[in-house]
Amino acid sequence: MISVNNLRKEFKKVIKDPGLKGAIKALFRPRHEIIAAVDGISFEVDKGEVLGFIGPNGAGKSTVIKMLTGILTPTSGSCTINGKNPTVDRKKYVKEIGVVFGQRTQLWWDLPLVETYTVLKEIYEIEEDRFRERMAFLNDVLELEDFIRSPVRTLSLGQRMRADIAASMLHSPKVLFLDEPTIGLDVVVKDNIRRAITKINKEEQTTVILTTHDISDIELLCDRIVMIDHGKNVYDGSLRELKRNYGQMRELTFEADSASRLTAESFCKGLKLSDDDISIKNDKNVFTIRFNSDSMPVGDMLNYTLSLTRVKDIAVKDADIEEIIRRLYKEGADKSE
Amino acid sequence: MRRAFKIYRILVAQNLKRLMEYKADFLTGAVSFLIDQAIGIAFIFIIFSQIPQLAGFTFEQIVFIYGFSQIPKGLDHLLTDNLWCVGYFIVRKGDFDKYLTRPINPLFHVIAETFQVDAVGELVVGICLMIYSAPSAGLYITPLSVILFVLVIPFSALIYTAIKIATAAVAFWIKSSGFIIQMVYGMNEFAKYPTTIYSNFIKLIVTFIIPFAFTGYYPCLYFLTGENPVFNIGCTVFISIIFLGISLAIWHKGLSAYESAGS
Repeated sequence: MISVNNLRKEFKKVIKDPGLKGAIKALFRPRHEIIAAVDGISFEVDKGEVLGFIGPNGAGKSTVIKMLTGILTPTSGSCTINGKNPTVDRKKYVKEIGVVFGQRTQLWWDLPLVETYTVLKEIYEIEEDRFRERMAFLNDVLELEDFIRSPVRTLSLGQRMRADIAASMLHSPKVLFLDEPTIGLDVVVKDNIRRAITKINKEEQTTVILTTHDISDIELLCDRIVMIDHGKNVYDGSLRELKRNYGQMRELTFEADSASRLTAESFCKGLKLSDDDISIKNDKNVFTIRFNSDSMPVGDMLNYTLSLTRVKDIAVKDADIEEIIRRLYKEGADKSE
Repeated sequence: MRRAFKIYRILVAQNLKRLMEYKADFLTGAVSFLIDQAIGIAFIFIIFSQIPQLAGFTFEQIVFIYGFSQIPKGLDHLLTDNLWCVGYFIVRKGDFDKYLTRPINPLFHVIAETFQVDAVGELVVGICLMIYSAPSAGLYITPLSVILFVLVIPFSALIYTAIKIATAAVAFWIKSSGFIIQMVYGMNEFAKYPTTIYSNFIKLIVTFIIPFAFTGYYPCLYFLTGENPVFNIGCTVFISIIFLGISLAIWHKGLSAYESAGS
């Protein structure tokens, strides 16, 4: 449904030395540098999928989202939704999408919220009946009733976010882009927003692409994640797969007295494990053993380790999603160096 | 087209509602605006009473040219004032994103969003000055000249709009072009007086490069003398269409250079 093909975006950047002196120098003798913020990103998204689009700050996420929403023109490559291309026919393309930028609002700031919806109704040419039906649905999902007559400037951040999501869903888009929809919200409101997103996705088969730095957003919402770093794809796969690969891994960390017999080979032999299930890192007698808890229960692993050596200060840790993502970010960084 | 009008009407209504939302501010604005206009008119009379004649034009004729020049300026000011904001901050702050994610023309959208009531001042002053000066300015009145009078005003206004679109669009490349709009727009001061009082260099500029002379002096020359309608009126129409075409091309090119702002 959405097809992103070798997308690339370059920015021309003026190199400035720091300070006023540097600024003045750059004014008269600018030196330019071409920076590829997005460097050959490709992925496909199916109808009804919830895709988590993640990456560290400055990875190029927003630039990709802005190209997918028709705001930026790609330097090369293409993105299409149902065959429609924003650089060819922007108007048709944007009718298919709804966009929420967590840090901006598309609501009419000075007027009661309901005014925004009546204007959008005209802009998107929504029929009166359809509009009423739509408002009822969005009201139900996002609970706008309490503040729909209040001026937008008086809304709390959580209310504003719900209002913004409603504004982007009014014209029943097939794809909803959410750029950090839970940023700055408290736990309860985050939960509300997530439930609303799930409901919209389930009831209307709306495809959702969301960027976030919130791990719970990913765990609770996303079927699949695409991770980018330095403008390149780093990971593309289902969350389940990611968890299977990394999620059952546990980490055993301890300081050993004698290191002689603590090698991955000896563990493999002793416990009848395969190479993939275990890895051992030794840093000045501080050992980190990562192992698959599916093939080797934590208790057995502990017993075996204790039988081999005397240990000080032992700790067992889950490799949670956050840890996985941190590792993925790091792997991405290592690869590009 | 009908749809465009409808959306325009609705967006303008939103803007007026917004103004009314802050009543104290709106009323203060309205009062200060009236005072401003009264002072403006008084000032014009003080200046003109010192120059009974200029470059062969009588006092009334000068007042007529001045009055006429306010009409296209006011029309453009009334309808397209938001272009200033494009140049000053909408692009720089990345707020232009919003216009690009909606299924209507972004230029139309950004223009329709503001209806600058202040401009009524220029229109009122312009009309008053023309009414005041018309009886003794020796106007050339024929059915054709009346038709051309009505016809030429929107084209003159388009010259303003075209210049603003082109200079505002520069912001897509250099992020902020407010001062560029201001500098170029400021040249409209030359439109209020006969170009014959300027040096050839300035005459050349306000005729062909930044053609504000077509928003005041040249059309008036025809209404005052009946001379050379092909140049005075025809060229106004021609130049406004050419300049609008060029500025739309620049704007369009600018859209693909737009870089938004980080978030």
